Amino acid sequence: MKSIQKKCLKWNTKCALCLLPSLLGTLAFFVAPFIRVIYYSLIDNQFRRNLVGFDNYIDTLANEYFLLALKNSLLLIVICVPIVVILALAVSLVLSYGIRWVRKTRAAFVLPLVIPTASIALIWHSVFASDTSVLPVYLLFIWKNTGICVVLLTAAFTAIDHSIFEAAKLDGAGSFTLHKKITVPMVMPTIFFVSLLTIVNSFKIFKEIYLYYGTNYPPDHSYTLQYYMNNNFLKLDYQSLAASAVLTSVLIFGIVMAGMALQRRYRQ
Amino acid sequence: MKKLIGIIFAVLSAVFLIPVAATVFLSFYSEGGFTLECYNDLLFDCFVFYPMFWNSVLYAAAITLIQLPVVILCAFGFTWAKFRGKGILFIFYIVLMMMPLQVTILPNYIGLRDMGLINTQWGIILPMIFSPFGAVVMHQYMKGTDSSVIEAARLETNSVFRVILVSVIPQLRVCIFAVVLFVFAECWNMVEQPMLFLNDKGLKTISVFISESGSYAGAVLFPAAVIFLIPVLLLYLFFSDSLEKGLTLGELS
Repeated sequence: MKSIQKKCLKWNTKCALCLLPSLLGTLAFFVAPFIRVIYYSLIDNQFRRNLVGFDNYIDTLANEYFLLALKNSLLLIVICVPIVVILALAVSLVLSYGIRWVRKTRAAFVLPLVIPTASIALIWHSVFASDTSVLPVYLLFIWKNTGICVVLLTAAFTAIDHSIFEAAKLDGAGSFTLHKKITVPMVMPTIFFVSLLTIVNSFKIFKEIYLYYGTNYPPDHSYTLQYYMNNNFLKLDYQSLAASAVLTSVLIFGIVMAGMALQRRYRQ
Repeated sequence: MKKLIGIIFAVLSAVFLIPVAATVFLSFYSEGGFTLECYNDLLFDCFVFYPMFWNSVLYAAAITLIQLPVVILCAFGFTWAKFRGKGILFIFYIVLMMMPLQVTILPNYIGLRDMGLINTQWGIILPMIFSPFGAVVMHQYMKGTDSSVIEAARLETNSVFRVILVSVIPQLRVCIFAVVLFVFAECWNMVEQPMLFLNDKGLKTISVFISESGSYAGAVLFPAAVIFLIPVLLLYLFFSDSLEKGLTLGELS
């Protein structure tokens, strides 16, 4: 008995050791430097290095450009992420269960993922030259990021065992009920993941906006957190950059926790 | 109803395709109309293009191939090991996955500078190997795989590597394809890292070339863009059949 227990314990240790390569790399390339960033956010400048407590944070939170950037980044998430997820959901439902020839169009949604940003920025420029609103940026985001969601969601739909459908159909379920009671709950984790991924991608849209406007100072409505940090990086203002980087991390941590709480609530 | 969906889809996929089609079209277009002149400018007159293209291939392939075993091991650990704080550790990976580049680029730069890896190939490759996206996806998928196969394999051997090789990897086929595709595409697309971490022109990538294409002679942007999208597109077409067999992700926890 004891030897089995011991063997299990050993097995468990071995499994845990599998995490090691990834953990060490993460520690070396992300965690340790990030601790330095936290330190930078607490000092007055690179040369004197006096600890100033939360002064940099207070400055950052009072900075009107930081607040503008924060507002724009959150707006992008609140408006575009639901659109992307719902569009991707609709597209993948039709791709998975719709008409046969429609399935061939899947590649059309994937192509935006692989095309280089620089050429797209140029094309966007010629199409939306006269448009001064935020619309081109939002459209670019939706256009670029629906594809990966479609790929993941269609893959999740096709993985559902079709015998469940047959059984439910025999019991007289209509196609709407089928999707509501079987499909949606089964792909719910993927929907959560895809939403999270789209939020991730909303933070990555900087390159596109940057090349589209071709300047460090875009119109107010497109000035996002990434711009704020990028400009501080260029100005070598590491203290502001570090403070805003830490604040952004806290924000992201909040979003993840909220998402997981939502998921737990849904499960119950 | 079916017709209506068909029409909506035709329009929708056309809208998604137009910018891609425009890129391809513009690569064959010059003032006089259809021409191969742009390709001529790029492929025969622009000598920096080829080394940059091969750098991209090298970086993306190296990162993908080295990352894969790290990711599989990591996901295996997250799925089968039991220890305190595992949940929190995984949340940490998710948070890290969500970090925008502008947050991680400064720590990354500092770390690489201290290790003396700035302006080397490893400065691009090493941090990307440990990007957490693959591990998160793989773990979510692995949770849904059949554990009885692993229990059976454990009766035969006591080696974790053998268990993974024999009973885990065969179940992961689809997910491995998906991770390879996404990781390769992500590496292929990276622009900021090579721009900031590399000074040598000889080490830079095709994505940098495209972003700076204005500084090269001739209309090289669009033909370069077309060539740029071919490798990932081929990879996608190669894997799309098995992706169609289905990929289910478990809950994030």
